[in-house]
Amino acid sequence: MNSSHTITHRQLFFVLIQSQIGVGVLSLPYTLFAKAKTDGWISLLLAGIFIQFSILAIWKLCEMYPKQTIFDFMPKILGTKLGLLLNILFIVHLFSVCIVILILYNNIVSKWIFFQTPRFIVIIILALTCVYCITCTAREIARFLMLVSPLLLILFFFVGYAYTDVHLLYAFPVGATGIKTIISTSTDALIALLGFDTALVFLAYTEGKSTSKLKAMSYTSLCVTLFYCFVTFTTYIFFNPVEIVIVPEPVLYMLKAFSFKFLERTDLIFLTIWIVSVTTSLISYLFFTAKGVQTLFKLHHHKSAAPYVGIICALIASIPGSKLDVQMWSKTIGMTAMIFSALFPILLLLIAIIRKRKEKGAAST
Amino acid sequence: MTFFKKPKKLLEQKSTEKHQEPNPSARTNSSQNSQFEQEKSNNQNKTINQLLAEIEESFSSSQDLQTHWIEMPSDKSDVALIFLDSIIDKQKINPLFELDKDIDLRTFEKVINIDFRKQTDFTNIEELLLQSYTIIFTKDTTCYYSVFTPIKTERDISEPDNEAVIRGSHEGFIESMSTNIALIRKRLKSQKLVVKYLKVGKETHTNVAMLYMSDIANPELLHEMERRINSIEADAVMTPGNIEESIEDKTFSLFPQTLSTERPDRVAANLMEGRVALLYDSSPTVNIAPVNFFVFYQTPDDYNKRWMLGSFYRLIRLFSFYIAIGLPAFYIAVVSFHFEVIPSALVLLMKSSLENIPYPPLFEALVMELTIELIREAAIRLPTRIGSTIAIVGGLVIGDAVVKAGLISNLMIIVVATTAIAAYTVPSNEMSLAVRLLRFPFMVAAATFGFLGIIFGLIIMFFHLCRLYSFGTPYFAPLAPFRIGDLKDTIIRLPFFKMNSRPEDIRPLKKDEDNHTRKWEKQ
Repeated sequence: MNSSHTITHRQLFFVLIQSQIGVGVLSLPYTLFAKAKTDGWISLLLAGIFIQFSILAIWKLCEMYPKQTIFDFMPKILGTKLGLLLNILFIVHLFSVCIVILILYNNIVSKWIFFQTPRFIVIIILALTCVYCITCTAREIARFLMLVSPLLLILFFFVGYAYTDVHLLYAFPVGATGIKTIISTSTDALIALLGFDTALVFLAYTEGKSTSKLKAMSYTSLCVTLFYCFVTFTTYIFFNPVEIVIVPEPVLYMLKAFSFKFLERTDLIFLTIWIVSVTTSLISYLFFTAKGVQTLFKLHHHKSAAPYVGIICALIASIPGSKLDVQMWSKTIGMTAMIFSALFPILLLLIAIIRKRKEKGAAST
Repeated sequence: MTFFKKPKKLLEQKSTEKHQEPNPSARTNSSQNSQFEQEKSNNQNKTINQLLAEIEESFSSSQDLQTHWIEMPSDKSDVALIFLDSIIDKQKINPLFELDKDIDLRTFEKVINIDFRKQTDFTNIEELLLQSYTIIFTKDTTCYYSVFTPIKTERDISEPDNEAVIRGSHEGFIESMSTNIALIRKRLKSQKLVVKYLKVGKETHTNVAMLYMSDIANPELLHEMERRINSIEADAVMTPGNIEESIEDKTFSLFPQTLSTERPDRVAANLMEGRVALLYDSSPTVNIAPVNFFVFYQTPDDYNKRWMLGSFYRLIRLFSFYIAIGLPAFYIAVVSFHFEVIPSALVLLMKSSLENIPYPPLFEALVMELTIELIREAAIRLPTRIGSTIAIVGGLVIGDAVVKAGLISNLMIIVVATTAIAAYTVPSNEMSLAVRLLRFPFMVAAATFGFLGIIFGLIIMFFHLCRLYSFGTPYFAPLAPFRIGDLKDTIIRLPFFKMNSRPEDIRPLKKDEDNHTRKWEKQ
């Protein structure tokens, strides 16, 4: 691996933040509310704690196999044949994540900005933009993701503006839905928090002490969880519990209500900035996918895989048409994504540790 | 007294004096040459003649290659002078002909009192001739003498028109490399300032001087720069643009990767930051590399203002970047897609202005922007006196008429005019051109996809900036990669005493600037 392509742990922090914050933020409060009512934000916090375990597992795996991506060390842990199979499965999973990002993005855009534009057109412009962005090294991607991070502050302030008109009482009573529901809802919250798994490829490029890498990763999930929590909680105290059920994108509806002297329809501006966040998530995942395809086909550079990956994703993403289709796709892919991104690293780590122990035992006897 | 005996017009005025000297002779073409050789063959000068003939042949008997003979009063031996008549200053060699006492070449040297050198390398005679040297052959043909006799064809030092400042130096570079180096040396009186001459162009032999501070500039950078310049293989390298294009990292980019300037103070300041300056033969343009995006937005004026004002105007300039690329696009997007964004107070106003316009906003904007570009292009070509007339006719008359005719809305005129002004606030011409061209794709994107188009355009543009390098240094530093310490002289300008470290992206050898300007204590 070329040493000039490395990133620092500070860049890793921003890369992961940008991968995590993405398409989910707009509808998250709604999905959580559907199950856990106004306690959705507690589920979110719990999910944040759960993903710490996955993060630890990812970090440990990458520490055991430094400077290697998951596609490099999977065959080493599981053996060549099984490793190859799981590599392929993992790439399919990454493809599906990219596809679901594109589907959800199209869903929002066609609902809020372009009502008539064909799905494929809306999807392909995002896909092609991202393809252009991933045809370079991890370092340049990290620089860009860090550059656009201040935009998150704007999103933060927009949401914060809602505090001019909130009713804290809407959030009470806390914990009324019961711990069981809260915990079961946190799986839904987990799906929105996905994105930290891109560390499986970006950690290979990160230089520096491994503790600072772990710190960067943990801070990322902390920041993202708190940000999401803030957004969710704000919408819960802005709308009354009866209203939220009828607004699938509470954040946008909330912003739609604000108007300034020089600007009406704040939601459109918010959406525009949100698209940057979607783009950055897709950049991370497409990069991840392209790296996988590169390892699979033993390509010289992931650049040559990028256009195919992008276009295939865009083509598949424009299949689901009706609202129900979209829901079904995103739900199924969300579940598989949770298995592959959150649980799979833990499993892989366990196997790796057992394997190492065995090898050690074999070596000592 | 001079010795010119020439059929050439240029020297006819001097030919009256030719008979006064004992051994005058000169030739300009080969026919005369051969005749002359026959005459001279009894004079033991055969070898000199052969040499002269060789030179003449290699110059394809060009008529400005001239030869003169002088008889040394001391030992009656003949001395031959050969030079390119068009590029040498005859005043400088005149003293040679005016000697009637006993002289030898030693005295020549004293009389001429300029670069007078004994040479033995006969292979580079042609090159010396092309560089305004006069070559002197004596009876001793194992060596020859070269005298540097350039003619002064330069204009006076004046302020560069497109980089004028209010306060500060008003000197600008001219078309002479040595004068330009002198202007820089005048500002950096340091033995650490190194000048390195390189040569490009197989036929044009263009001189390139590489200037850098030996204790600051990174050796890797110098090596890379030299490697790139030396690798240029072309018959003709005519303009700095040729060299610029051959050595920059990415040719398929709108953004300039070297800073062209005509201001010696700007060059000196950049040299002190560890950058390298490239000076060219007969070009007032100096290229500075490596640069980052923000260097194009700095001007020497910033440092002569109070720092808060300097910062303010720099922010205005950076803001103008966004206006120049984004304002027409934003307007088009709002008008054609997102009418909802306009606050209610403005809606009626905009509606009344737009209602009767027959064309879509993109068409309106394109027409007006192209008109402005037309006016600009015409104003450059025209003499200054007519130029201002064109600006008035183009700007005022056309602008007023299209609105009155109802072809273009007056809001669009405001937008287009603001954009045009914003593009001109960039202190660098190249960057200003890049910005002006960039707004067209943005306008098209906005007309197709509204805000979405603009944001994707911006993403692509910023990503492009992030992956662009200038001689291996990141182009969008210090924002990407983010270096908070280097922001002090990019987006804003902090007071002088705060600027005590050099920008990190150029990897200078000496990071510390040793600025302790406010060591005195307040009483």
